[in-house]
Amino acid sequence: MQKLNYSLLFVLCCAALYLTGCGRRAPKADEDQMVLHLSLPTKAQTLDSGNMRDVYGMMVAGNIYETLYKYHYLKRPYEVIPVLAADFPTISDDNLTYTIPIRQGVFFQDDPCFPDGKGRELTAHDFVFAIKRIANVKYRSQNWTIFKDRILGLDEFREYTTDFKEEWAVDYSYEVEGLKALDDYTLQIILVRPWPQMLEIALGDTASSPLPREAVDYYHSEIGHRPVGTGPYRLNVWRRGSYIELVRNENWRGELYPSEGEESDAEAGLLDDAGKPIPFADRVIFRVIEEAQPQWLLFMRGELDSSGIPKDNFNEAIDASVQTLTDDMRARNIELHTYVDPSTFWVGFNLRDPVLGKNKPLRMAISRAINRQEFIDLFANGRGMVAHGFVSPGMNSYDPDIHTYGFSRYDPAEARELLKEAEAVHGGPIPPLTLGMPGTDTFARQYGQFLQKYFSQVGMRLDVNYMDWPTYLAELNNGHLQLFSSGVSASVPDAIDFLEMFATKYFAPGGNKFYYSNPEYDTLLDRVQVMFDSPERTELYRKMERMVMADYPAVFTTHQVSYALTHGWYKNYKPHTFSYDVLKYRRVDGEQRGEYRDVLAELKKK
Amino acid sequence: MLMQMSNNTSAKPAKGRSLWADGIRRLRKRRLAMLCFWVTMAYFALAAAVFISERTGWENVLTRWNEDIGPSYQAPLATYEWTPQDAEPMSGWSLFGTDFLGRSTLRKTLYGAKTSIAVALGASIISLLIGIPLGAAAGYFRGWFDDIVIWLLTTLNTIPYILLVMAFAVVLRDKSLLGIPLRGMTGVYLAMGLTSWVGIARLIRGEIMKRKESEYVLAARAMGCSSGRIIFFHLLPNVFHIIIINFSLRFVGFIHAEVILSFLGLGETDKPSWGAMIDAARAELARDVWWEMAAATLAIFVLSLALNLFGDALRDCLDPKLRTD
Repeated sequence: MQKLNYSLLFVLCCAALYLTGCGRRAPKADEDQMVLHLSLPTKAQTLDSGNMRDVYGMMVAGNIYETLYKYHYLKRPYEVIPVLAADFPTISDDNLTYTIPIRQGVFFQDDPCFPDGKGRELTAHDFVFAIKRIANVKYRSQNWTIFKDRILGLDEFREYTTDFKEEWAVDYSYEVEGLKALDDYTLQIILVRPWPQMLEIALGDTASSPLPREAVDYYHSEIGHRPVGTGPYRLNVWRRGSYIELVRNENWRGELYPSEGEESDAEAGLLDDAGKPIPFADRVIFRVIEEAQPQWLLFMRGELDSSGIPKDNFNEAIDASVQTLTDDMRARNIELHTYVDPSTFWVGFNLRDPVLGKNKPLRMAISRAINRQEFIDLFANGRGMVAHGFVSPGMNSYDPDIHTYGFSRYDPAEARELLKEAEAVHGGPIPPLTLGMPGTDTFARQYGQFLQKYFSQVGMRLDVNYMDWPTYLAELNNGHLQLFSSGVSASVPDAIDFLEMFATKYFAPGGNKFYYSNPEYDTLLDRVQVMFDSPERTELYRKMERMVMADYPAVFTTHQVSYALTHGWYKNYKPHTFSYDVLKYRRVDGEQRGEYRDVLAELKKK
Repeated sequence: MLMQMSNNTSAKPAKGRSLWADGIRRLRKRRLAMLCFWVTMAYFALAAAVFISERTGWENVLTRWNEDIGPSYQAPLATYEWTPQDAEPMSGWSLFGTDFLGRSTLRKTLYGAKTSIAVALGASIISLLIGIPLGAAAGYFRGWFDDIVIWLLTTLNTIPYILLVMAFAVVLRDKSLLGIPLRGMTGVYLAMGLTSWVGIARLIRGEIMKRKESEYVLAARAMGCSSGRIIFFHLLPNVFHIIIINFSLRFVGFIHAEVILSFLGLGETDKPSWGAMIDAARAELARDVWWEMAAATLAIFVLSLALNLFGDALRDCLDPKLRTD
């Protein structure tokens, strides 16, 4: 009887395993279709283009919505090209009025919000509506700062919307002088003052993507889950916090894969698909995997096409001595892509501080005392570049000769000499300095100890005050921190964001947390802020960078270098730091992906 | 029979031993307990040496934990070549390896004893200072005062300990008390002390309730002793062994709590601590740097084991009702 019971149990277990599909097998659809398998480290907050600023939301939504302009996928330096605009704008002589022709024959995706569920044609009115919606104070868009004080009459429209009780009640027919659809295919924008970066910052941002009024009226607050766009993909499934699936948008007008790029692109195989119709993939699957380890293991099992390198797995992936892939990675046919993030990090000086503000030799001494390369090796596994200036190498105006000026030179002997000079200026020994450090985690503490070590090596004392982020931010914006650890990442390849950090008119709580003030610099900034890209502007940008660097308002430490891995079957991968609409270019070699199982089996045998 | 009687009466009566003398005699017989006692004492001596060195400005190997002794991340016993600041290249080795800045892991581990023991001692004293008077008064007076204390004990007991300590540590972090900023370890002493008196208060309350009807208390009351005198001069000395046992066993808990708080970034930030070392080592394990984790864990393990074994032995020897031998 006992034996029979065990046999029955065994049979039932087998049946249960069979019925629930215990073995892992890719869905059948995968075999017929080209599918991209990607991951997100955190869930997307919303897919409402007007109120989206999280990177992961943008990574998804960038393939559903389109913008008037964007950056070319392959060309570097980054080059702006029209997307939903039929051409570049016509700009008036005073650089204030932009007349933008809208591409004809562009249709929104099919959606129940339209009559008969059929997507209608895009018009200039959809852009006007999208931007006015962001200005609507009741909508509470995070993107309002992009347009604030920029477009004629838009701030008045925002004021007008305060009278309404809720977002939906606002009458969008209220005329804004600087934002008009002259006809269905012509958009006119009149600026308050010239804004040379408008195309990149405003009209190339997902925030200004056209949105059909019908969708907002139909879905109301549900619009964040029901994106209606004109892009190559549309949302098919969204299980919040775990899974997002995009499928081809049947209404998409179609495009061809670019046939021009950088010189090295052809060699890298990035032009193999030149002239072919895109998108290549039929579906895109994003899995939300918050923990780095499961994400890494899925990538190694071939269930994800691309991955970053978690810090804990760096040695597994990269041979640190030569900064190339390990043999195991090569055996798996995994490819490494490195690129410089448009970011700069620094230890800033509060120039209003009585000790630091009037003592340039002291600031120079501190700058000479810090070994930046050691920081990169210890804290970033060598993934970084010494910041010889504050403009990141990703910027179009980056000065390749900035290192020759030696602003970020590590020279402890010179630092000690400078310190003597600094003590003479101060009128006595330099008192202990205090650094405000955002965070209390391991990285923050080790970074604090690292800086303390280099300060003590030249005979200075540094106290570190570890703070939580809100406290740090409040103290920083109130100018209470003597030294502070900080950094910034650019959203467009124009260095203006970096340059504005040193203008007197942007003192904290604006971007100038250093309280750096130089009348000559301010005059130059006013000039370049209204200049369009030109060799003259580039030269001025570089001159301004050198002016700031020579005054040592901070110890500029590093530019971050990112490492990404892709499987050999994931084609046309080129890191793009300023665009999110890149998945339409990506292609998967199904046969090669299938062979990976054999590679894994072989590695297992070894 | 008579003979026997006379023999017995003529024998010298056995000398009575106090509870403490009896307990210590029994303790001395236990070799393992004594070993644990001396191990614990060694840790205390180390902590005291660091403390005294810092106070007196005496430069020694313990206070020079911040000094580089080699390149970053050198394995234990590995020989290496390096160039110290303003010196000639030289070779070296270290027993427990070096950390990310090339500092000695051994020196940091030794210094960590001071951090942990200081916190545990500080927190124990605070918790005893709150717990004993409250528990004794509640057990002696009963009535509304007891109701309030019991309510407070029950309320604090329902909140998970570590969460409560964390909440206190976060709230106290940027505050100051009587002009003393509560940064770093001061906040941790207070956080742990203010949250951990519940157990001792409950224990003392129970003991006092049990003993307050004893004949010696009745005698004291009959002689006109005040309640305070009865509590502090008659009752508490009779439950003091319970306090000692409790203290030794809870000490381990405080050391662990300090490690957890430092691990969570709420503890010591400028000086070495075992928790901070484990926290740092967590990220370093990916680089195969295991020695910092191993050194701190070993230090905690040995002290915890010694304190636990000694505490158990002390309980067995001092509390006759729990005596197992």
